[in-house]
Amino acid sequence: MKSEPKFITQIQKKISELQDFYILCFNSIARIFKKPLYIDDIIDQMEYAGSSSVFIVSLVCLFVGMALSLQLSAELSGLGLKMYTGKIVGIAVIREIGPLVTALVFIGRVGAGQTAEIGSMILGHQIDTLRVYGIDPIKKVVIPRVVASILMLPCLTIIGDLICLFGGYYIAVFVSNQSGSFYWSSIIQELTFENVFSGSIKPFIFGYLISCISCYYGLTTRGGSKGLRTSTTKAVVTSIVVVIAMDFVLTRVLLYVLGFSL
Amino acid sequence: MIVFDNVWFSYGNREVLKGVSFSANFDERIAVMGESGEGKTTILKLILGLITPDRGKILIDGKDISSLSEDELIPIRRKFSIVFQEGALFDSLPVKENVAFFMREILKLPNEQIYKKVSELLSRVGVTDAEELMPEELSGGMHRRVAIARALAVGKTKMFLYDEPTAGLDPVNSERIMTLIKDLADKENIGFMIITHVVYVAWQLCNRFIFIKDGKILFDGGKQELILTEISAVKDFIKELFFKVEL
Repeated sequence: MKSEPKFITQIQKKISELQDFYILCFNSIARIFKKPLYIDDIIDQMEYAGSSSVFIVSLVCLFVGMALSLQLSAELSGLGLKMYTGKIVGIAVIREIGPLVTALVFIGRVGAGQTAEIGSMILGHQIDTLRVYGIDPIKKVVIPRVVASILMLPCLTIIGDLICLFGGYYIAVFVSNQSGSFYWSSIIQELTFENVFSGSIKPFIFGYLISCISCYYGLTTRGGSKGLRTSTTKAVVTSIVVVIAMDFVLTRVLLYVLGFSL
Repeated sequence: MIVFDNVWFSYGNREVLKGVSFSANFDERIAVMGESGEGKTTILKLILGLITPDRGKILIDGKDISSLSEDELIPIRRKFSIVFQEGALFDSLPVKENVAFFMREILKLPNEQIYKKVSELLSRVGVTDAEELMPEELSGGMHRRVAIARALAVGKTKMFLYDEPTAGLDPVNSERIMTLIKDLADKENIGFMIITHVVYVAWQLCNRFIFIKDGKILFDGGKQELILTEISAVKDFIKELFFKVEL
């Protein structure tokens, strides 16, 4: 019997993997309200994804806000436009940098953890044990993580945005000698529906994508500790690429929908 | 009854089972033996419908399970109690919650009744004073015994399936697990299938032996046939028996 060329087999494998991923994404939403709801598991996962991530998100966002404000102050003071620092920091953080940086930190801390945890459950036959006794691993393992990510990433983004703005404030006021009240008032001016909506819709979608990707790679882990390392790396890299690409797509769509002209 | 009819299975390009056929009654004590990577655990997963064969039929009580959905497989899987290699305890839960897990999730028993049964089951498998310990704090032998307690918690099944129940254990703990497996089968009056590469364990516990090599069944028979076999691969495999037991 003539065997198929290797690249055709590879393409078939990739298509099959993509199909499995889409099915997982669909089921993780479609089965959310199917009983049992596993509320305790959702709360556990929310604690892990949310409150345990506040410190690291805050730390990263503080430095990002400070660096952004520093760069802008230096550049704008040369043009005599230093007073616009707050305005630009506000728009950049609320619309773009806050959601994106928080999502990237979330990938490293929560997404990688989800893949490693589910992967080790696969290797230790814990997922098989659930299936043997008729417990749906999507309901018990995947959905709590997806729901927790969808709910917690927006909360973390709000905290991250605030800390980012405080970082910017510190540099603008204490390093660049700008007026603090003017900094805040120019940010408050930018808290329009368009800007806030544009920045707050993204984390819901990022949270969903990150957890689906992480759970998918966790569930497809094979081959011991080396396989676990590979699947965790793949989950992190894929999540980063997908989140950044999706950020671009969402930005383009939101600019169009909200009526911004280019 | 379990029937494998010309079952083929592969992981990617690697063919693991090549036309495996056998049948087994639920009350038999069967050892599936072979070297590592010969597809022993694959047979166990196929019986439970955790994976589907590439070709061939698997019948459980006359029903072909190859094309059943997860929901349709639930009553088939309930016929078995499984103890996976190294126990497969949920590592985020303490021992008592591991044993209680399926009573809570499936049987929906009240807490009072669950914890009473947990204590009974743990003392039955000889693990006492460990209810609050986490799985990583248990020894290998305790791990397996807690896993057996958890398998018993679901209720009466038709057959126990053990995947390498003594792998990685010292002789004392191996002996304890073997005694436990035998006692349970005697008391519950149900059979079991053991996946093992340790021929001594198989010999002590079972009365039927299936030997797998290169994806095919090379030997299927009782104790007498096993020691008299002329199949060189099987003879090599059971060599250690002649040092350990009086035949």
